[in-house]
Amino acid sequence: MKVSLNWLGHYVDINVPLSELCDKMVMSGFEVDGIEDLSESMKNVVVGQIERLEKHPDADKLQICFLNVGSDMPLQIVTGADNVFEGALVPVALHDSHLPNGMHIKKGKLRGVESFGMLCSGEELCLKDSDYPGAEVNGILILNDEYPVGTDMRSVLGLNDVIIDFSVTANRPDCQSVLGIAREVAVALKTKLKIPVPEYKTKGGNIKEYISVTVKDYELCPRYLGRTVANVRIGKSPDWMKKCLKAVGMRPINNIVDITNFVMLETGQPMHAFDLRDVNGSQIIVRRAKANESITTLDGKRHTLTPEMLVIADAKQPSCLAGIMGSLDSEIKEDTNSIFFESAKFRRDSVRRTARHLGMRTESSARFEKGIDIMNVEYAMERALQLIYELDAGDIIEGVIDCNAGLPQERVLNVSVSGINALLGLDISADDMVEILNRLSIKTTNSGDTLTCAIPSFRDDIEGRADIAEEIMRIYGYDHIIGTPMKGAIVRGKKPYDRLCADKIKIRLAAQGLYEIMTYSFISGKALDMLDISADDERRRSVVLRNPLGEEYSEMRTQLVSSMLNVLSTNYNRKISAVRFFEISKVFIPKSIPAVSQPEERYALCIGLYGEDENFFTLKGIVEDILSCFGISAEYDRDNQPYLHPGRQASAMSNGFPVAVFGEIHPDTAERFGIDTRAYIAEIRMDKLIDAPVEAVLYKPLPRFPAIERDLALTCDKELPVAEIEKTIRSSAGKNLEDIWLFDVYQGAQIADGQKSVAYRLVFRNPEATLKDEDVDASLSKMIKNLKEKGCVLRS
Amino acid sequence: MERMVILKEKLEQLRQQVLEQLNDMTDEKELNELRVRVMGKKGWLTEILRGMGGLPAEERPKAGQLVNRVRQELENKFDEVESNISELLKNARLKDESLDITLPGKKHELGGLHPLNGVLEELIDIFGSMGFDVVEGPEVETDYYNFEALNVPKDHPARDDQDTFYIAENLLLRTQTSSAQIRTMETQKPPIRMICPGRVYRADEVDATHSPVFHQMEGLVIDKGITMCDLKGVLEQFAKEIYGPETKVRFRPSFFPFTEPSVEVDVSCGVCGGKGCRVCKGAGWIEILGAGMVHPNVLSGCGIDPEIYSGFAFGVGLDRLTTTRHKISDIRLLFENDRCFLEQFNR
Repeated sequence: MKVSLNWLGHYVDINVPLSELCDKMVMSGFEVDGIEDLSESMKNVVVGQIERLEKHPDADKLQICFLNVGSDMPLQIVTGADNVFEGALVPVALHDSHLPNGMHIKKGKLRGVESFGMLCSGEELCLKDSDYPGAEVNGILILNDEYPVGTDMRSVLGLNDVIIDFSVTANRPDCQSVLGIAREVAVALKTKLKIPVPEYKTKGGNIKEYISVTVKDYELCPRYLGRTVANVRIGKSPDWMKKCLKAVGMRPINNIVDITNFVMLETGQPMHAFDLRDVNGSQIIVRRAKANESITTLDGKRHTLTPEMLVIADAKQPSCLAGIMGSLDSEIKEDTNSIFFESAKFRRDSVRRTARHLGMRTESSARFEKGIDIMNVEYAMERALQLIYELDAGDIIEGVIDCNAGLPQERVLNVSVSGINALLGLDISADDMVEILNRLSIKTTNSGDTLTCAIPSFRDDIEGRADIAEEIMRIYGYDHIIGTPMKGAIVRGKKPYDRLCADKIKIRLAAQGLYEIMTYSFISGKALDMLDISADDERRRSVVLRNPLGEEYSEMRTQLVSSMLNVLSTNYNRKISAVRFFEISKVFIPKSIPAVSQPEERYALCIGLYGEDENFFTLKGIVEDILSCFGISAEYDRDNQPYLHPGRQASAMSNGFPVAVFGEIHPDTAERFGIDTRAYIAEIRMDKLIDAPVEAVLYKPLPRFPAIERDLALTCDKELPVAEIEKTIRSSAGKNLEDIWLFDVYQGAQIADGQKSVAYRLVFRNPEATLKDEDVDASLSKMIKNLKEKGCVLRS
Repeated sequence: MERMVILKEKLEQLRQQVLEQLNDMTDEKELNELRVRVMGKKGWLTEILRGMGGLPAEERPKAGQLVNRVRQELENKFDEVESNISELLKNARLKDESLDITLPGKKHELGGLHPLNGVLEELIDIFGSMGFDVVEGPEVETDYYNFEALNVPKDHPARDDQDTFYIAENLLLRTQTSSAQIRTMETQKPPIRMICPGRVYRADEVDATHSPVFHQMEGLVIDKGITMCDLKGVLEQFAKEIYGPETKVRFRPSFFPFTEPSVEVDVSCGVCGGKGCRVCKGAGWIEILGAGMVHPNVLSGCGIDPEIYSGFAFGVGLDRLTTTRHKISDIRLLFENDRCFLEQFNR
């Protein structure tokens, strides 16, 4: 809410400097979003009168002006404009002056003649005709004689003002007005509030001779108030009113329109004026729009309406979108003779929906949406009529049309003093509470522990004790709140198990050099195309946003791979030679398509690596570590993810379920993401890790008897998975095999084509006794025999 | 008698000779050789002992004593020299092994938490020590939990402050972790002390201070006799632990639909101590979170009697806390995941 300090000063005494005013308002609940000193845009520009004009001796197109600028000596200025004349009042930029267009004027010489400043055009002062008559004329701005010579142009143009932008919270729609802010200023500064008292005289007649009003839907329009003005004298508004409007960025149009805008800004109540000639059948009907009815609004846009929307119609057609904007053909014109003033309350959610639906937002709709005071409807109308009367803009006709479905009674709340103090943790006296509430226009009396508060109609937000407590507190001052330590038994807070699991994973991954990353949960609908995921893949079933910021953020992700690839790509393209990353985040699995209920949200873990030292097995090592720390011993099967290298990908199977899928990125995918190196990615079902049964770690006695180590070197078909060999070793080794370590896999010289050499170190130990070589030899020969059946031959 | 004298002389001669040699001895190998030559089975001492055979029987014990005394002395001397030599050798080796200790250390490279989660862990620890449990809630929420139960009915103007991503009519991406308040109060009886960290979403265009995805941490306390002073006490402890023991906390009136009274919470600027500087834009205070006493409508909506119980709630923006704490100039850096960015927080 932008408020002109000058305007505000009409209603409340401001007896402190600007900064103190702002501080006090902030501490009573009105944040200051901005302060704009209009006077800073222009400096050293005054009203001057041309006393004499002379031709420039050396230039045909230049004239020398001798000006009276209010000082003893005439001022000499050379100008090239040809619309100046002796006696003309003009804006004069003196030596060392600043203009709103950024120009800095200094004295100088023009063709040898000294010039001590510049005469200004309307354009140079950034003025339009609506700001000052004649401002758009090609030449120097000729001023009217309203201000004497020497007057600062900022006074002429209303720039001696400061605009304060107060942030008004949603619970305070009453402060969407200068009077509302003034009321709060008066409380904050403890100064007097001067609310204008409307007074005017009518010119007889009867409104019923002019118009009838029917409200068909009191639900959407609880109150509709109308007055008429005849013999309207359309003209310019007075300067003071134009300054008020312009200060807050509103364009003055004519006295009638300006009055409606002025009253809206002053009281917060939007007003509308109809040209009575355009009201067909002299009937105003407040009703819902008919299906497919249409209206062309003031801004020239045509809208098709629905029965959800409220309109102000005449006998024939809608002439106004209730509370939002009037129609183009019912606007006030130069020759308008009689008008009908509307001051009404429209339901806020209805205005909000209609405005949203039609993509419109006006000063009026903004106020209706936040909610206006039903009792203020009448005051605003009275103010408008007072202004009509004072400006002599027309003859006010007798009679009021006030359609309403009953006006609310004053609400009275009884709240307990001790209850308020209990909530705040303070001991504020009942007297202090009463004093504060009365200053806030909440008429309050006190008896015993009870405050009886009459809530003014503009404070719909006050419903009970907590609201009263807040009102007291924001004026009493929050600095009175002194922190107390938490009472009650101090118990250490708990973390849920899934978070503990995540913590454990993070520690292990960080210890292996992985950094945690964080990416958006919504991704492009095309992200899965980038991974060549087939059309019927489950991961295509996703939760889709109705109103995304753009296609690239349109679906909730069902996997973390595409986000990880983007991050790998970013790093690779920044010439970072190696990275190890992980992300733990939610994926969203819808229960139906399209999603109409909450999806399953489950945690997933994604790991991404690239760099000289990385390969399939460095990744697999990390995956194995994570699985094993949840007690999962997986079997590894080949997988067929389209984004992974066909021969270098695997899924880790636990109880027949793939708990992890990982491998080297397919070169095509890598190329698509601009990664020109081998990169590796794993996606792990964190939910399955969390669900894995928790087994307490039990101590195994430390070995007391020595172990026997044997190396076993085999050759076999190169396609034979080592897992098969290992299985055979384990199954035939007997109970004393303690550990197997695969320490070499080799193909090449000395090994036949199509064969590989595999070398294991086997550790045997009997926990009960010292193991004998013979025992181990026996196990080994059985093992070698079984391995032979698998095609593994002992290397000599 | 002469034999005895000769033996004595021989012994003394040997003793002198050996001691002399030992005095100059610096080599371990030579020492060992000498030891064998003197003390060995065929060494000089043995030779002298053998020479005792010519002595009369009554003198032999005395001669044996003499020999043994010398043997013992030399033995000690050998040991002493040996230990001196090894000490010398060790010292020489240690001297030789001296390193340029300014060479860089060899590290096993560790990774680390994302800075935002680093900050979050700190908060969980601070609030955990005050008895706050960590809870989580869904990110895809119903309109009811995100708005209505928080005292924000449909078409309420307060909804304008939070541009919401919708999925279906009543299904949306939560705009605030406050939705977890309701889920907690519905399922848990007071006393309640919880924090709920998590991801939230608002349809803000991306810029240096806005992200459509960001993180909040909600806090909620419900019990008998909870006051606004308790709220301040908890937030003061939090602020002191995060911003330093001198930090002051200030409440400013504000509005949130689900708390009443509602406040914005500022901390004194750590850079200027409240005098006003560039960091706090001259205000002396930095806004860190919103808070308030839980609205009676919210309590009764969750089946908690506001006449018996009261409580407070607060919501911290984690992204902003992270960027201010580490002086990160642009929130987008948090989601870009440049390794050179991430490794800066690995401490």
